[in-house]
Amino acid sequence: MTDVLIVGSGASAVHAAWPLVEAGLQVVMVDYGNVDETYAPLIPDEPFSRLRRTDWRQHVYFLGRDFEGVPLGRVRVGAQLTPPRRHVTADVDRLLPLRSATFEPTESLALGGLAAAWGAGVAPFGDEDLRGLPIGRADLEPHYARVAERIGVSGDGDDDLLPFIWNPPRMQPALEIDAAAEAILTRYAGRRDRLNGRGFYLGRPRAAILTRPHRGREAQRYHDMDFWSDAGRSVWRPQWEVQALRAHPNFCYLPRRLALRFEERAGAGVRLQTRHAGDGAIETRSARALILAAGTLATARIVLRSLGRYEAPVPVVSNPYVYLPALNLGMIGRPGRDRRHSLTQLTAIYRPPGAEGAPVVAQYYSYRSLLMFKLLKEAPLPLREALPLMRDLTPLFGIWGVHHPDLPGPGKRLALRAAPGGEDVLEVVYEPTAEELDRRRRVERRLVGFLRRLGCWPLRRIDPGPGGSIHYAGTFPMTEPSGELTCDARGRLFGTAGVYLADGSLFAALPAKGLTFTMMANADRVGTALGRRLTAEGGPPGP
Amino acid sequence: MTQASDPRGRRLAREARLFSRYLLRRDPPPEMIGRYQAACARLFPTPPEAEAAAVLSFVSRHAWALGPIDAVLAWREPEHDLRRRLLVMSAILEASPRFADLFLPPASIGLGRLAWRLARAGCGSAVKCALGPVVLAWARRGAA
Repeated sequence: MTDVLIVGSGASAVHAAWPLVEAGLQVVMVDYGNVDETYAPLIPDEPFSRLRRTDWRQHVYFLGRDFEGVPLGRVRVGAQLTPPRRHVTADVDRLLPLRSATFEPTESLALGGLAAAWGAGVAPFGDEDLRGLPIGRADLEPHYARVAERIGVSGDGDDDLLPFIWNPPRMQPALEIDAAAEAILTRYAGRRDRLNGRGFYLGRPRAAILTRPHRGREAQRYHDMDFWSDAGRSVWRPQWEVQALRAHPNFCYLPRRLALRFEERAGAGVRLQTRHAGDGAIETRSARALILAAGTLATARIVLRSLGRYEAPVPVVSNPYVYLPALNLGMIGRPGRDRRHSLTQLTAIYRPPGAEGAPVVAQYYSYRSLLMFKLLKEAPLPLREALPLMRDLTPLFGIWGVHHPDLPGPGKRLALRAAPGGEDVLEVVYEPTAEELDRRRRVERRLVGFLRRLGCWPLRRIDPGPGGSIHYAGTFPMTEPSGELTCDARGRLFGTAGVYLADGSLFAALPAKGLTFTMMANADRVGTALGRRLTAEGGPPGP
Repeated sequence: MTQASDPRGRRLAREARLFSRYLLRRDPPPEMIGRYQAACARLFPTPPEAEAAAVLSFVSRHAWALGPIDAVLAWREPEHDLRRRLLVMSAILEASPRFADLFLPPASIGLGRLAWRLARAGCGSAVKCALGPVVLAWARRGAA
């Protein structure tokens, strides 16, 4: 008999799997598992600027075989999903239908889940970030260390972000930053005391991007192709772990299966029903325990369907997110460098005073490899004039992505609606209070003031709408004691003997700093505790 | 892919040449014309509405009108069919080594060059914007 079934192959699933596999348990990972088979083989392992000048097939991967890389509408969620990353969201509309007038999330059925295209930011939580949960930083610390060892984290060990983002152990040296980020950091150094006094801090990001070879992966190549290619695998993605797990004889990866529902039978463990992607065949698998790590919204569908809790309202949180395209005046007259990576160059933290609440986090990206025609689309100029102007402005052009914290509230909920003969529909309502919206705008105005002091002049504010951060959580939070539609401190779903959750579902609230690294550490914690339990019991878990 | 021999294919080929001359002052090579035809077949599967068709037809007969109409649409109707087709052509021109250097940013830009670019873009846009509403209204008469 299988010991543990794991649903999903994303950031949480793979770290839940490792301790179970290392404990010698039989683990089966059930996944839909979409992959990119079209574009990856076409992209040469060359720097962006050389490809642009030499590769006559570049239109295939830059624009897409069906020109899916040419966005014609407004700036939406996932604007950075280039054709080679589009498989991450493939089949979602059909298989995971969602209805909402107020919430536009991004979900994934890909091998690696959403982290197959993530930005690789790493920010361990402190006790203040875990407030309200039955676990604290001390509970997570050994698991942060294990996850950091697996994924490899680079960063500056001693900068102004340290009070907010403590360093995971054995960090690799920080990534090289580009000339635009250097210009901002230089201005920051000259104004540091005054900015710090007003709650603004700036530093280099901690990232799951290698600057030294690690576990068969290579150091960052600085080709500026990170939105398009995974050459060298310097950016950590869950699919590298699935590949490593498959080398273990007690691990099995089962792709092309959509998990539908689970069922527990007294003394006989858990049964999971799946549907095959090819022939639609319904299959059933049994195990001593089940870990759901399919992503917050997909996990909610499986739990609510399995418990028969259609129509039951469940809380949901998501970091509010806005883009601030900006001109970095510090780049005027400053030579840029071709050698660069494409992901976050800098991280800023603004801690509003007193009652204004928790910190907000802003991340700076320099703009180049996402191509200029996307900038032309946003310019309110005739394209003949816009083209030479935007070309010359590109070295100055950057984007600040601003994450706000989010707390649960009565206007933020979801429910599963039955659709006989079709896929059940998840309905989401996300209506923050006027007070929350006011606070965000006030904080953003102040943040814009700080950015201007650093020479960055935001041109406009682009709000992709609720769900745009691609961070979702809070549906079945850990509570102690646990109650209906919650989980206990070990991630076990209330009322079940062997069903565990290991993704964002467990976190009641979201600080601005990004959940992914903590979610991975917590999945390792859930997997470790379950592994100990199953090893000690030697049979199916009792109630 | 739309064939160059059918009327739609010929119209799209004319559009591709017009847009390329407007954007870069260069004729597109045949493979980029084919790419534009393929992109339009994919991204604009239905014929344009009467108003957009009239505007497209007008600029294909009066190439000089493209700048003013583009300028006024950039302000008032950035989602207009003409703007979207221009954007598709600019993406196709950009994603090729042939014109890469016209899109890749310079290593650095000084204040003087930036000021010159801004002034030139501002003046050019202002003139076109001033003419745009009249030319657009003229172009739209065909749809009435």
